[in-house]
Amino acid sequence: MRAARSFALLVGAGGALGWSGLAGGQAALAPRARVDFGRDVLPVLADRCFPCHGPDANANPSGLRLDERASATTGREGRAAIVPGDPAASELVRRVRAHPDERMPPPESKLVLDAGEIELLERWIAEGAEYAPHWAFRALARPEPPAVADEAWPRDELDRFVLAELERAGLAPAAEATRAEWLRRASFDLTGLPPTPGEVRAFEAQETADAYAREVQRLLASPRYGEHMAAGWLDLARYADTYGYQNDVYREVWPWRDWVIEAFNRNMPYDEFVTWQLAGDLLADGVGAPGAPGAAREQGLATAFNRLHRQTNEGGSVDEEFRVEYVSDRVHTFGMAFLGLTLECARCHDHKFDPIAQREYYALSGYFASIDESGLYSHFTSATPTPALDLPTPEQEAKLARLDARVRELEAEIAGIETSSAAFVERFLEDPPPFDEMADEMADEQDRFPLDGDALPRLANLRAPGAVDAKAEGPVQRVPGRFGGALELTGDDPLLFPKTGHFARSDPFTLSLWVWLPERYERAVILHRSRAWTDAGSQGYQWLVEEGRWSAALIHFWPGDALCVQTTDELPRERWVHLCATYDGSSRAAGLALHVDGVRARAEVVRDALTRGIQGGDPGGLTLGERFRDRGLRGGRVDELRVFGRELGSLEVAQLFDGRALADALARPAGEPALRDYYFSAVDEAHRGARRRLAKARAERDELHDRVRQIMTMRELPAPRPVHLLQRGRYDARVEEVARGVPAVVHAAVGGPAPRDRLELARWLFQPGQPLTARVAVNRLWQQLFARALVETSENFGRQGTPPSHPALLDHLACEYAASGWDTKALLARIVLSATYRQGSRASERAREADPDGRRLSRYAPRRLSAEMLRDAALFASGLLVERVGGPSVRPYQPPGLWEEKSGLAYVQDTGEGLWRRSLYTIWKRTSPPPAMMLFDAAKRDVCVARRQATSTPLQALVIWNDPQLVEAARVLGERLAREFGGSPRAGLEEAFRALCTRAPAPEELAVLEGLLDAERASFDAEPGAARELVEVGERAPDAELPPVEVAAWTVVVQGILSHDAALVRR
Amino acid sequence: MTPPSFDARWLATRRDVLARATLGLGAAALAELLPGARAAGGDLRPQRPPRAKRIVFLFQSGGPSQVDLFDPKPELNARHGEELPDSVRRGQRLTGMSGNQSSLPLAGSPFRFERHGECGAWMSELVPHTAQVVDRLCFVRSVHTEAINHDPAITFFLTGSEIAGRPSMGAWLGYGLCSANRDLPAFCVLISQEKSGQPLYARLWGAGFLPAEHQGVQLRAGSDPVLYLGDPPGIDRARRGAMLDGLRALAAIQHEREGDGAILSRLAQYELAFRMQTSVPEVTDLSGEPGEVFELYGPDSQRPGTYAANCLLARRLVERDVRFVQLFHQGWDQHAALRPDLAQQCRETDQASAALVVDLERRGLLDDTLVVWGGEFGRTNYSQGKLTPDGFGRDHHPRCFTMWMAGGGVRAGLTYGSTDELGYNVASDPVHVYDLQATILHLLGIDHELLTYKYQGRRFRLTDVHGEVVPGLLA
Repeated sequence: MRAARSFALLVGAGGALGWSGLAGGQAALAPRARVDFGRDVLPVLADRCFPCHGPDANANPSGLRLDERASATTGREGRAAIVPGDPAASELVRRVRAHPDERMPPPESKLVLDAGEIELLERWIAEGAEYAPHWAFRALARPEPPAVADEAWPRDELDRFVLAELERAGLAPAAEATRAEWLRRASFDLTGLPPTPGEVRAFEAQETADAYAREVQRLLASPRYGEHMAAGWLDLARYADTYGYQNDVYREVWPWRDWVIEAFNRNMPYDEFVTWQLAGDLLADGVGAPGAPGAAREQGLATAFNRLHRQTNEGGSVDEEFRVEYVSDRVHTFGMAFLGLTLECARCHDHKFDPIAQREYYALSGYFASIDESGLYSHFTSATPTPALDLPTPEQEAKLARLDARVRELEAEIAGIETSSAAFVERFLEDPPPFDEMADEMADEQDRFPLDGDALPRLANLRAPGAVDAKAEGPVQRVPGRFGGALELTGDDPLLFPKTGHFARSDPFTLSLWVWLPERYERAVILHRSRAWTDAGSQGYQWLVEEGRWSAALIHFWPGDALCVQTTDELPRERWVHLCATYDGSSRAAGLALHVDGVRARAEVVRDALTRGIQGGDPGGLTLGERFRDRGLRGGRVDELRVFGRELGSLEVAQLFDGRALADALARPAGEPALRDYYFSAVDEAHRGARRRLAKARAERDELHDRVRQIMTMRELPAPRPVHLLQRGRYDARVEEVARGVPAVVHAAVGGPAPRDRLELARWLFQPGQPLTARVAVNRLWQQLFARALVETSENFGRQGTPPSHPALLDHLACEYAASGWDTKALLARIVLSATYRQGSRASERAREADPDGRRLSRYAPRRLSAEMLRDAALFASGLLVERVGGPSVRPYQPPGLWEEKSGLAYVQDTGEGLWRRSLYTIWKRTSPPPAMMLFDAAKRDVCVARRQATSTPLQALVIWNDPQLVEAARVLGERLAREFGGSPRAGLEEAFRALCTRAPAPEELAVLEGLLDAERASFDAEPGAARELVEVGERAPDAELPPVEVAAWTVVVQGILSHDAALVRR
Repeated sequence: MTPPSFDARWLATRRDVLARATLGLGAAALAELLPGARAAGGDLRPQRPPRAKRIVFLFQSGGPSQVDLFDPKPELNARHGEELPDSVRRGQRLTGMSGNQSSLPLAGSPFRFERHGECGAWMSELVPHTAQVVDRLCFVRSVHTEAINHDPAITFFLTGSEIAGRPSMGAWLGYGLCSANRDLPAFCVLISQEKSGQPLYARLWGAGFLPAEHQGVQLRAGSDPVLYLGDPPGIDRARRGAMLDGLRALAAIQHEREGDGAILSRLAQYELAFRMQTSVPEVTDLSGEPGEVFELYGPDSQRPGTYAANCLLARRLVERDVRFVQLFHQGWDQHAALRPDLAQQCRETDQASAALVVDLERRGLLDDTLVVWGGEFGRTNYSQGKLTPDGFGRDHHPRCFTMWMAGGGVRAGLTYGSTDELGYNVASDPVHVYDLQATILHLLGIDHELLTYKYQGRRFRLTDVHGEVVPGLLA
């Protein structure tokens, strides 16, 4: 990489190499060949001219579009920018050569066309100024492999494309790599791990014709394959184990990572693999619902892909601002991962370079916006942001089924009692006891606060006369009430009832309160039991006034795991109103009834999806009139708060309002069918007992269910959430509603109606003619196997991306991939077995000049190991690697204090096998990612990344030499060498070299290593204490049988080999 | 290696680049800039030569309260307890922390202000040491930003975007200017230890899409000042030296065998790593500093990892020509209990901040070292929560806040910009975060519009598509 190398070049020697890339596209231009629009002209126009004369209408005051031939050749004031065939008449040519006052690009743009580029534009105009559609948007068609002179070289059709190019440039392919070199590459590229010396020997001894193919099949069949493929997919999916913003809390998303590994290992076709991740929830009915079973659950799990973006819980953040941000992230990820487009450019304005309008950006966002989510995850609880999918273990699933059955039985039993007790009911109704004889006036009242304000700040409880815990916090005013005095609230000062209202969602309960509202509140909290609102997930229950209407809710996580009902009419104002909400403990909206002035109010269901507990986050007790960071009941008055541990019936509610309904009914019982409900609810012991058992059974089920693992997934809202064009991308600057749709420039090649939902969008990616999906996918697979992808900018196939080095080859592979049923293993096998991949890495003098960076594939360009490969290979060679697929992320060695100093969260290092798992299982905390991996260019996982850099820095050396992880690996390998090769160090050195570099050391290399071993041995001999210290590094206990001096000396030698180019680089 | 010449910077032609291999502009940046922005004449040269060679950014994370430290508001004190007028708030969105309060009472500062120095700058009693160096400082009272929450705001300040993924300011500088010291990282990050407060994120000193070598290197108190710097137990310099000798020989053989220049450049990195293992502990070891230096920086400076010790370390780093030293001090987020907590923050930072300026000046380093002090936003002039005689807090405020700068080509003794009489809006000479970034780059001799990097087909820069150099701040 040009940029990567430059620092070393400047400070070190040999500067000129670093500039080889400068001439870029121009160097590739053969002197007299006809100008190619796509390859030569478009990059210049796009880069220098499109910012003001391109697709972004708002940034193009002149209206001249140089990306469209019609506009460019249309006369304006007598002159056209481009007059095909006549550069001299072309205004463009005049302007790019003009005096700075008139010159294009204008000086303030800080963009410059150099003489060569101007000449190029002139030639192009002279040759007729032919435009061509951008290569990446052209529909895919399978190019026939070209004829080549050297028929002996190609092993696969794909080699013909490469060889034809080489022959055209007068180059010959490099000599074939050795078997060991090839196997080293193939093993790393397909499994992320090197071959063992034994595997190399066995392969070298194989004489059958299909020896190579058999190795490839062996590698593809290994579970390591899926792990390795997943590691790359995690970069695209911006996978991390924490949310990312601010406090950056842990979230459990590894089950999705395991699904990816598994999908790769079973060679799931790429179209299915992508479709499940984008829209698995829409594949079958009921998928993605919390209890979805089997395959449907797996399809739902795959959609976690769309939820892996960063999320915030920072106090005071605006929910909508971040929700919009999340939707955008999904769009950007979709664009980069599947279309190779930089859609984010079109978020704030029309794309400057590619024909993608801002409107189209928002049209695409419509597919990703329609889930019941919040912009903030819970600050005070660990609730999984909705939509969430349950992932029960089989045992949990079985037990839940049993508990559910028990709940249903009890519900049936209660219905039975209501029938079988009919005779008893009749007796009761014929001669009901007078009201004042009924036990305890109203059964099951737990608390009764008159709120008269005669002992402020204390609030008396008639049900617990001595209790002193209820109190008014801060100034409240005593005012005349419905009964005696009442309290007027400030909105900022709560009334607190710490011992009251601690209900679970399985508890039936009733709350009754008189309120006097001075105004039509936009939003005001009447009462609640919860820790906080908006930025805190609002777990608990609550009564609010929202736009004048009354709502009551039980919430696990708002909005996706909650039940909420709201009155259709606004609450009366400036008079006393009686509010009473009854709840039956069913966790269903139907079980929550709102009564205003003693009468059941007309209400609509806002949410009916409560599946989890409502008591997390240390919610305290019932609170009136105020909530942390929410809007209180400013100026509102409250009187007579009553709390019942039962769902009251309609007569009782009416009684609470008028003080006589129940008494009246009991006085003239025959005509009161409502008394029947009253009887069962308040009097009948059989019924009451059954209800208690039901509540207990529900509680037991809920308790188990609350422990079932959950993961964020996609679940489409019943009615699509409308999306709007946002001015400059600002969440609160809605311009107009935009219907769902896909970018026209891509859709043109696909045709047909636009996808209606996410599932159709996923399928649209795989429609015949789709120009991008297959090209982007095979390009990334190529990138996995070579130093450079065919389209080097694998993240950008737009006009500002790098044109493909081998366009026909790219299209050929793309067509073959689709035709194979998107068989990823088959494609990888083909490429790895090709003559192109089998080339050696050494460049001939001629090739070094004509193909300095290997872009023409005149050899296999060397590649450093990735961060994961480097660590995993060291663990593997030492025998420390613990190969277990999947499971929670692990916490291997990490310098202490890194997490703590950033967000105060402790990094508790694992002991035992967590230290030695493959690197893809290392826990990824976004604000403090694994430092050694970051130093080796791992992606940060904040946003989708399609390509990693490959830098070389001094800090990398420090990791190899000093990270306990790698020191320990060197030591453990050193122990094996000392144990097995004590008497024959040469053989030991060879073994170590083979294990780490996959080849035998040359005699000179062996001599250097022997010298080093001797020197270290002598050095440790002189200071055995130092040797003992070194062999103690790491958790793996040193082999007590071995002399520390020997092990220490071997350790240093292994470290030397690990640092050697031959170990770090695939050649 | 001699420090690069800063006079010969923006070059006319590519030939010049190749001819003068040791100029200040980073090769990476040039390689990126030249194809698209080759200058036909001298038009890319900055208007004036760079004034600063290095920068120390004393980042006060959390949002220090400008009205209690640098920007006194008698009218605010006079109207203490009155409601924030809508005519002043003008629709400013509030965070969810105070946005739902039924009242937004103005809160005067409980601290005394006095004028100091020849320039007569007003300073609060909380920062007596800073007050003594006001004639060397340039106060900007009219800084304003976009974001109202910490994460987006601090990310915006240090990367030019509220959304994660962009390179940090220090990474941009490292990319734009080649390192002036061969043995130390160009971009060092120092975080006060044992502080809590708003979290910090590695991306604040990350390289974003720039090559990873430009990410900041955190120097930490303790035995391993740079991650993985220390040899493992049992390995000493001689043993590591012997291994390096072996690596040198292996690299030569491998280079002979493979003919790949990257083998030798990797070896050069190894050599540098080996040297850093000596040079970094040497620079981070404060024990050789004379007693009067510790006195200057205050008693905390003897305790490694404190803000004061980090200020002293910053001086040692810039002495060795480290380009960019970024300190972070958490804890400026006074939502409540402002009075005691803000005083405590100032006790931790005031003396050492002032000492750094004095120390740089007496060593002749202040002229070409830029010191910047400030946080990601300011604080409200009204009380978050209840305004009580016992105390109150202030919420986040993006519309105006104060930063100060010193040395490196800024005008000393200047107070730039002003806020309205209640300290809520900028009244004159607004300086947006992008303007400040542009000005900082300008002082380092970099045209912020030219320091670009092409990623995803677009030229990105620290200041996005905004920012103007503020001429009024320049000496």
